[in-house]
Amino acid sequence: MKKLAVVALLAIYATSAHSEYLYGITGNMAATGHTWGMNSVGPSNQRGMRINGVYYQYTPIKNTEDDMLVHVRNKRVGGDGYIFSSTDDWSGLPGGIAITKGFVIDNLPIELWGEGSIDIEGTGSVVDANVVYSYKYNEGCTTPMADPSCPGYADAVLAMMRDSTVEYYDPMGDSNISDVLDEKVDLDEEDKKENEEDEDRGRLERILSGVDESVLSTNILAQNLLMFAMTNNPSMNPYYDKKLVGGVYKETVVLHGGELPDNKKGARAGLAQQILHTQMISMQYDKTE
Amino acid sequence: MKKLLLVSLILASNAPAFAEETPITGNVQTRCLITTDTNGVFGNPSPTKLSTASTDGGVVPVVRYDVTLADAYLAKVTTPTAFSSSPALSDSVSWTGSTAVTKTTDAGMSIYETNKVTYGQTTQFDLTIAGSTWFSSESAALYGVNKSFPGGSYTAVILAECIAK
Repeated sequence: MKKLAVVALLAIYATSAHSEYLYGITGNMAATGHTWGMNSVGPSNQRGMRINGVYYQYTPIKNTEDDMLVHVRNKRVGGDGYIFSSTDDWSGLPGGIAITKGFVIDNLPIELWGEGSIDIEGTGSVVDANVVYSYKYNEGCTTPMADPSCPGYADAVLAMMRDSTVEYYDPMGDSNISDVLDEKVDLDEEDKKENEEDEDRGRLERILSGVDESVLSTNILAQNLLMFAMTNNPSMNPYYDKKLVGGVYKETVVLHGGELPDNKKGARAGLAQQILHTQMISMQYDKTE
Repeated sequence: MKKLLLVSLILASNAPAFAEETPITGNVQTRCLITTDTNGVFGNPSPTKLSTASTDGGVVPVVRYDVTLADAYLAKVTTPTAFSSSPALSDSVSWTGSTAVTKTTDAGMSIYETNKVTYGQTTQFDLTIAGSTWFSSESAALYGVNKSFPGGSYTAVILAECIAK
C-alpha cells in the first residue's frame, strides 16, 4: 500500500512535469584530426542527450587503380564493435571527388557513443573531412526524476521509494472521519425506523381502506336492494290498493213464453246445400267420364 | 415496303453507339529531381572577362541531381552560350565552360566524372547509381578581342536536364 501510494504520486508528478526536447548539431568533429572524442557533443552537464543523426563528408585522394576503404565510425561504449560505422569502397575508383553521406540514428544515448574516427584501409588518404552529429536533449533533465525520459529515472524512483519516510495515512483511523461515519450510521438507523413506521402506517391504512371498501360495497348493495324495492312498490301498490265498488247487478232481460216456429227458409237452404254436397261426392265415383 | 422501312428505323434507333471513349489515367512519379544547390556569380578578373571560377572572383554554380532509380537517367548540363540579359553588346562573346562532378553520396558515383561525355557546351553523365550527385559548372566569357565589357548587369543561364535512358 505504501509503495503504491508513492508510485501513484510519482506518476502524477511525472505527467505534470514539463518535458521539451532541444535539438542541436555539433561542429566539425574531424576538424583537428581523424579521431575525436564525444565528450564535447552538446551542452555540458546535459543528461539524457541522444544522438539522432550523423553526417560526414570528405574527399579521397588516391590513384584510380589503388584499393582503398574509408571507415567513418564510432566505438560502442561498454561493448565490442561500433555503435556507428559507414564504409566507402574507393577501390578502382578515381579520387578527388567529395563524398557526403547522412544517417538518421534512432536516438541512441550519448553514453553509448565512444571515440569517433576516420580509418583508411589501403592506399590513399582523406582530405577535407567533416563529421557532424545531430543530437537532442531534454533541458529539464537536471535531475533524473525531472522526466520519465531522463536517464536514471527508474533507479531514482526506486531509491526514493527505499528512502522514503512517507507516513501511512489510514483514513479509518482518523477520529474526525470515524465520528462523521458514526453519525451517519445513527442517522441511517433513524431513517430506517422512520421508514418502517411509515411502512406499518401505510399497511394499516391499506387494511382500513379495505374494510371501508367492503362496508361501502355492502352499503351500495343494500342501497341497490332498497332502491329495487322502492321502485317495485309504486308499480304494485296501485293494483293492490284498487278496490271494486260492491253491489248486486240485477237481471234486466225478461223472456216472454210462447211457440217458436221452424225457419223454413233456413231448412230449404240447408237441404239444398246437402243435396249439392252429395252430388259432388258422387261425381268422383262416376265412371262415365 | 413501308413496314420494312419502319422496322429498320426502329432497329437503328435501338442499336448501341458505334464509338465510346474510355479514359485511362495514371501518374508517373518523378525519380529524377534537379535542384539548384548554389547560384553562380560572375567574377570580373579583367575588363574583358567574366568568369564563375573562384580564382576569378566568381562563384561556381552547383546543381544537384537526386535519382531514386539507378541506371535510368542521363544528366545533361549545358553551360551558357549567350547572356540572357546584358547591356547592349556590339561585339561577339566567346564562351567557354565545363561541368564536373564535385560531390556524391556514393563512392561509386565518382566514376561519373571519368565516364562523362562532352560535346559543345554540354556535358552528359550516366547516372548509374541511385543517390545524389552535385555538378559544378564553370563558365567564362570573353568579349571581342581584348574588348572591355560595357558596364551593367550580366545574366546567363545553365541548362540542367535529366533525360530518361
